[in-house]
Amino acid sequence: MKDANAQSGARQSTARRTGIIVTAALLVASVSSLEAFPIHGSQTVLPDGSELNEDALQKPREIFKSEAGGKSYLINLGDLAFSSPNMLGDVARRAGVSCSTCHVNGASNSAFFIPGLSTRHGNLDTTGAIFNPPADDHVLNPLTIPSLRGARFLGPYGHDGRQVSLRVFVRNVIVDEFGGAEPSAAILDAIVAYVEDIEFLPNARVTSEGRLTGRNSASARRGAALFGKTFPHDPALSCAACHMPAGRFVDHLQHDVGSGGAFKTPTLVNANFNAPYFHDGRFSTYDEVVRHFDRQYSLGLSAANRNDLVAYLTAIGDGERGEEQDSIEAWLKEINDFASVLATAIPAHDIQVIGLTVDTVGAELRELTEHFPDHKDPTVSGGSAERRRARQSLKEVVLSLRRIGLAGSANDFDAAMLEYSNYRHLIQNAVPEMKRAEPWSLFDAKVHELHYAALRRVSETATPATH
Amino acid sequence: MRKIAPLLSLTWVIALAYAEPVFSPTEQYRSYLIEQISQTLANAKRLRERAAANDVDGAKKAWIAARVGWEQSEVFISGFVSDLDEDIDAWPNALSGFHAIEARLFGANTADVAVATDQLIYHLTDLDIKIRQIPLNSQGLLNGAARLAYEVGESKADGGESRYSGTSLDDMRNNVSGIQLVYKTIFAAPLGASDPKLALNTEQTIQRLASLLSVADAKSLEPGKVRTASEELIVALQAAAPKMGLLKPTLEDITQ
Repeated sequence: MKDANAQSGARQSTARRTGIIVTAALLVASVSSLEAFPIHGSQTVLPDGSELNEDALQKPREIFKSEAGGKSYLINLGDLAFSSPNMLGDVARRAGVSCSTCHVNGASNSAFFIPGLSTRHGNLDTTGAIFNPPADDHVLNPLTIPSLRGARFLGPYGHDGRQVSLRVFVRNVIVDEFGGAEPSAAILDAIVAYVEDIEFLPNARVTSEGRLTGRNSASARRGAALFGKTFPHDPALSCAACHMPAGRFVDHLQHDVGSGGAFKTPTLVNANFNAPYFHDGRFSTYDEVVRHFDRQYSLGLSAANRNDLVAYLTAIGDGERGEEQDSIEAWLKEINDFASVLATAIPAHDIQVIGLTVDTVGAELRELTEHFPDHKDPTVSGGSAERRRARQSLKEVVLSLRRIGLAGSANDFDAAMLEYSNYRHLIQNAVPEMKRAEPWSLFDAKVHELHYAALRRVSETATPATH
Repeated sequence: MRKIAPLLSLTWVIALAYAEPVFSPTEQYRSYLIEQISQTLANAKRLRERAAANDVDGAKKAWIAARVGWEQSEVFISGFVSDLDEDIDAWPNALSGFHAIEARLFGANTADVAVATDQLIYHLTDLDIKIRQIPLNSQGLLNGAARLAYEVGESKADGGESRYSGTSLDDMRNNVSGIQLVYKTIFAAPLGASDPKLALNTEQTIQRLASLLSVADAKSLEPGKVRTASEELIVALQAAAPKMGLLKPTLEDITQ
């Protein structure tokens, strides 16, 4: 389980033990493996230096309420639309940005950064000049990308809590913030169904009523007491008054806590994975958050008090396996969920959904193909035949989808259905080819590191020398 | 003998299917290919000369000019000598090949590219010799055209491979021009004879792809439409293959 503060503490004690040189080396290694690879060049749709974090090997884990019973057509369609740049406006579409670029697997994206729209990694000004120029408010006021885990419990929506309806809010993001075309009612319903199906990660350290379980430290327990204690100068206030433990740590209200306006109370459930904190992401750690409240409300917290509160926040903000390593299986699961939409859309002669599926799944498959480096990539020396075969088999799947699209556009739904059955056969055949090539793919941590290290070297080579 | 005779007949049939007469369209294509690589080689040599004179702008112009023939010839490279791609056009590689030179020239703005340019010229000279000797056949060129068409449809949202020179769009245009050339030289006539409708559709798809790439800059590209056209072109080429007595083109060189 991820515990950012504990990790930070461990790093500090290591530094004390082994000295500055080793620490510096560790930091370089850490930065190089975690850093999102930026977009480069003057010819890109997004500004030079944008980081979407799509190259990350660790991805947020996504679980669904309906997982056990099988996800419905509506939820799969919503997930598909959520992952499709075609839902958004011209700039996002050309840049390959979809809802899921920011909300990776329905979580947040703390490494996301767009120069001119972000002031730090993990925030974005959705009323800036890039995605929907007519909506530009000419003020750089970025907001953090919220996690959508448990969103169905967390209304009203928006950091300022301006919208009660998730459906209206989603439409606003698509049309007003990202300049997309008006989505059909069916697609909008599907996206809402998908978002409402995203579940919180389970957390064995806290009960469903928000109480700590036996699996917690004494420090976390002391922190729980402090969390519920009324503020010295205003007995009506306490942390728990707004972050109500029994109510998933929210009160569904907006408050001004000295951060420049009234913002809704964010949930603390799974919040360990939601940094940076506050509406604009001004704080990187729980410790900074606690210090802010200490100052703002003259709480008079001692260092030990602060540590206890951080331990409590870390306990309630935890979640089982918040991240998981990117894998062939994870890609296939998503691709199969998305493509399953065709089983309904083709017989229903739904040309719009057929087209959306063909384009979105095709793009995903192309991206998956690039996880098996081609013959031009000098960073991978082995498995040439295996990689070529994996790529060949995936490319055939892409073309099968295109044939489905062509048949759908020609209103030949029998041919489309026949090709869909061929598609399923081809994707099944691609699995063993991918598995054979996996040791030389970007799913392998070492290959991944070598590939991105080579990209970084090219980038460094392209940097003008400073005199 | 009775057992061997059918085998020999089969071999003869296969040999006939792949034999290319003298002055065949493939030989005609070879002459274009020689022209493309000669142009690339000449510009690579000019790049070396300009870099030696510390003329960064001149070297940049020569690099861009050298890319034209190279990208057009990728139909052949993809279909016959894909291993040479790693020597000449490796990605990502900061040490050798076109893109290592590009990073230094266009990114770092330095003419200090002598070693990588010498290596590039060495490999291009090798290629220049190979293209004059290697047996060409329609199947290999159809494979190359389909593979390159697929590559044209790849997303360039991250800047593409030629991100520092800003010429990824030019690469795509030259790729399509290479596909157009090989299609017209080798495949248009036999396909037109066996299936005029499919021939027209194939030609129109190539035109559509070229037209989608004739935008002002890479930022204006519609990647979804480019990808669709690239895939529709491959679907057309796959359908065309048996009508020209060829096998369905493979999208990777899986014989290696």
